[in-house]
Amino acid sequence: MPDWSEVPKWLMPRPTHEDREFWEGASRSELRIQHCRSCGRHQHYARMLCSHCGKQTVDWVTATGGGTVYSFTVIRQNGVPPFNERVPFVVATIDLDEDGARLIAAMPELDPADARIGMRVRAAFRPAGEQLGFVDFVAAD
Amino acid sequence: MQRRVCIVGVGLSDGPVTPELSGVMLEAQSFRRALDDAGLEKDDISGLASAGYGGMHEVALAEYLGLTPRWLESSSVGGSSFEFHAMHAYRAIQNGDVDTVAIVYGNNQLSASGRTLGTGGGGGGGRGGMALPLPMAYEFPTGLTLVGAYAMAAQRHMHEYGTRPEQLASISVQTREHAGRNPNAMYRDPITVDDVMSSRLVADPLHKLDCCVISDGGCCVIMTTEERARDLPRRPVYVRGAAGGTTHHSIAAMADMTRTAAAVSGPKAFAEAGITPADVDMFAMYDSFTYTVLVVLEDLGFAPKGEGGAFVTDNGGNLRLGGALPTNTDGGGLSCTHPGMRGLFLLCEATRQLRGDAGDSQVPGAEIAVAHGSGGWLSTQGTVVLGTEGN
Repeated sequence: MPDWSEVPKWLMPRPTHEDREFWEGASRSELRIQHCRSCGRHQHYARMLCSHCGKQTVDWVTATGGGTVYSFTVIRQNGVPPFNERVPFVVATIDLDEDGARLIAAMPELDPADARIGMRVRAAFRPAGEQLGFVDFVAAD
Repeated sequence: MQRRVCIVGVGLSDGPVTPELSGVMLEAQSFRRALDDAGLEKDDISGLASAGYGGMHEVALAEYLGLTPRWLESSSVGGSSFEFHAMHAYRAIQNGDVDTVAIVYGNNQLSASGRTLGTGGGGGGGRGGMALPLPMAYEFPTGLTLVGAYAMAAQRHMHEYGTRPEQLASISVQTREHAGRNPNAMYRDPITVDDVMSSRLVADPLHKLDCCVISDGGCCVIMTTEERARDLPRRPVYVRGAAGGTTHHSIAAMADMTRTAAAVSGPKAFAEAGITPADVDMFAMYDSFTYTVLVVLEDLGFAPKGEGGAFVTDNGGNLRLGGALPTNTDGGGLSCTHPGMRGLFLLCEATRQLRGDAGDSQVPGAEIAVAHGSGGWLSTQGTVVLGTEGN
């Protein structure tokens, strides 16, 4: 299995005041998303306003990490290091169990032949330096 | 009383491989050819639109061309930018803000950057330590490519509707057949569904031959009033309706990957034009990937949702000459030319068809054509309805 631990400088997250919580949460193995007090729905990535209802009533919460694959692809060609050495690998669009939140994640440990729409997945975390991290997904047990 | 608006000139640069020409040189060459086609000179141009190079490009282009336009447009919404330009120019000419507009685009994408657009990471091209704009900061670290984003959408369509990769491949095969009649197309040799299916997978389910080419090239389209068009040499092509919209930027935010903003822009533009899908004689569609064509055929109402795969393969291939909807008769982005963005070339090909200038690829008696651009990651959709008569 290709090594995904290397994080070249250009891929290092550059946290802002707005999204630092997400990247630092990942380094603590927490998937941090936003919940809206007004409409009750969730969103990823961090925003000033709720993208569902438009109210400025969003708070950070920790997601369960569970989700369902809405769609996926197998990346077989990517010219940019380090991805050119990792192909083939699965990238999926995942609907989190928290209503309204969807994200794209790599699934480095999944055999491309086993990828399915509708499969249950859970968040897995990969360090990016000392303080930050990425959120990958793996097949749920 | 709104004025009627016509396309009166089109110009294509040399292509599809022009290492000796820069992007702006390609723009200037196609601009000059469109002026000649329209029977106009540069000082007849009072409005200029362009996109693709970042801030103030259309201003720099005006200076380069020796123009002092009083109407400028630079909507930059990806490959469909030029359908938005045509829509905005149409409104501005209708309302008397400007009389004669040139829309210009040229890029030496192939010669300058090679074939990296689709698989060069995230949205294409190296990132060189630049800060990643939202929401791409979350996508690039996953290794997703531009092709991969379209592939995910295609995969979802296959899941929901049983669309088969062979049906997507057929779009590429039929488009190549058109390219075979175009001496300026990049790839002209006939291909089969098996050829597409056995070309390498770039991002499942999209094969290499499901993806558009990367080329060099430029294009210019000139629009003016019906009144002015009467004095010009070419048969005018009327703009009958136009609309656009967006549903998302990154593919992750596309709520339903089987439905684009074309489902809104299409009906709106068709209603304004006073037509239905059955009235359309020829379709110029932004074929960045085979799936782009399939999903937009459905969204515009040429086929019911989920039945795009059957539509393209029925009748021996409905996108062929003689099919229900001859599509991308110049060979499209899949086989002819795609210099980074293709939206303007769609308006050019639709115009050539409606003027009866399409040579061996002519759709006999074509009276209504639709040019439809799709930009970004299926993000922005722009529909322009053209006709041999006004509405």
